Amino acid sequence: MDKRILFSRMRKSYFFMIGVVGIVLIFAICYLVPLFVHWDPEKNSLLDRLFPPEGFARGLEGHVFGTDALGRDVLSRILIGGQYSFRLAFMVVVLQMVIGTVLGILSGYLGGWADIIIMRACDAIMSMPTLIMAIAVLAVLGPSTQNLVLVLTLSGWIQLCKVVRNNVRVVKRQEFVLASRDLGAKLSHIMFSQILPNVTTNIIIIASQRLGFLIIMEASLSFLGLGIQPPAPSWGNMISAGRQYMTTQPWLILVPGFALMLAVLSFNFLGDGIRDVLDPKRKM
Amino acid sequence: MLYYIGKRFLQSLVVIFIVTLFAFVLVHAAPGNPARMMAGEYATDEQVAAMEERMGFNKPIYEQFWMYLEGLAHGDFGMSVVYNQPVLPIIFSRLPVTVQLAVGTVLVACLLSIPLGVIAGVTRAKFIEFFAMFFALLGQSMSSLWLGILLIYIFAVKLGWLPAIGTGGIEYLILPVLTMGYPMAATLTRVARSGMIDTMNEDYITATYAKGISNFQVYTKYALRNAMIPVITLIGLDLAMQLSGSVIVESVFSRAGVGQLMNQSVTSRDYAMIQAMLLISSFLFTFVNFIVDVINSIIDPRLSLY
Repeated sequence: MDKRILFSRMRKSYFFMIGVVGIVLIFAICYLVPLFVHWDPEKNSLLDRLFPPEGFARGLEGHVFGTDALGRDVLSRILIGGQYSFRLAFMVVVLQMVIGTVLGILSGYLGGWADIIIMRACDAIMSMPTLIMAIAVLAVLGPSTQNLVLVLTLSGWIQLCKVVRNNVRVVKRQEFVLASRDLGAKLSHIMFSQILPNVTTNIIIIASQRLGFLIIMEASLSFLGLGIQPPAPSWGNMISAGRQYMTTQPWLILVPGFALMLAVLSFNFLGDGIRDVLDPKRKM
Repeated sequence: MLYYIGKRFLQSLVVIFIVTLFAFVLVHAAPGNPARMMAGEYATDEQVAAMEERMGFNKPIYEQFWMYLEGLAHGDFGMSVVYNQPVLPIIFSRLPVTVQLAVGTVLVACLLSIPLGVIAGVTRAKFIEFFAMFFALLGQSMSSLWLGILLIYIFAVKLGWLPAIGTGGIEYLILPVLTMGYPMAATLTRVARSGMIDTMNEDYITATYAKGISNFQVYTKYALRNAMIPVITLIGLDLAMQLSGSVIVESVFSRAGVGQLMNQSVTSRDYAMIQAMLLISSFLFTFVNFIVDVINSIIDPRLSLY
């Protein structure tokens, strides 16, 4: 696609611009501000329990968002928790993209038994609700970051795989594919150098729309005690720990809650914006 | 069409088989001796051996799987170690609380989403469309976790209008239903809107206009019915997924439903219970999916050609 058209569409799409600005801001805050905050997000300090938020009265020297029940600085826990959450979401999305794309191309191009096996596996995984499956796997295998990545990856490549497969089935009938097959090109060359570039648009759209969902999943599992394990901070386990102080120290739930909402909202704006920019016909 | 229905039925059976195999392998992949786990922490060696004998853990793995399948076919989903009873009756006893929540959720979601989606799709006014899309996007970004906590904080802690947690009369149901209903309404708004836009572009709508029928009648009597097909499909599939949503909402609001049971089973390592929940939610989804496909193929026979 022509770069100039792409840029002008980006500027015209409100959703895309809001998403980009939001995410750049959130990333800058989560990755740059911790360099200036001297509180350790995991170190307990029982003398400093439940300090109320003092804002920027002392700049970043004080407890901007107060402290939690173990005397840890809420601001630094929010920022580090965000970093964990983003790292996890990006890792899972990349893994899902690779698995979904490879299996989708194999299924669509080879057809026959490969198609039947991969599609039935997709149906089986799709029939299990993501959260229930994640809870079951994490309960049995034990909660850890590897298992979290494993189970979130396992449950999310289906949609991508199905879309890629249907795309490939259309593309493989086109002349350039038939031509290179007749010229004796290797199977892997046809699948990944000839067909793949023709299906990347959908891959990017779907992958970008999954990021927000993954952050919610991680927070939900951490809230249930199956995700990121304390003392490591996560927005989900901070909300879970702050619940019993809701009446007296509400900042313990409000700060991580708003962080979660704003981050997911920005990613969802970006996802919808990317769809409008890359595929303006399919406006939902 | 019969060929198509038969094919879909066989596919559903294959799906159920794969899911069952997955659930079976999962529990057997658990670290540690399953018999010791099921017998409980303080069981003696004899008790563990008896448990091994009773559950057939000393038999070859394929025989165990066959026994498991036979049990499932007879409605035996295993024994709960915590309650020392079959798991199925325990799950059923918790079901009414969750069904109450699910029905309320669907009602709230429809009331919020269908009018908004339809108005946005019919008028295509820029302001209303932007509002509808923002409403949808915000709903997808408000996880039921955060929305539930926020509603409790505003309506129970700050204003004191509604009870925060517990099970009981209608006042206990309002906040959980809103918590689950809004995210669901978000998706439905999008689908209702695009369904309405597609339908309004059909030739038969132009024809009804040409006959001189009033705008309002065209929308409600002619367009709405067809535009609602994708909405109803989605509600059907969502119903099967409600179990998943109820895990978080029932944990936030301390409601004694199936979702809370799932949570407690994780804490008490009640593997048979977790396994049963996974299977039941998956079977339910597969069943609803099959029914939806059959109904759609009867309504629109072209679908069964693929």
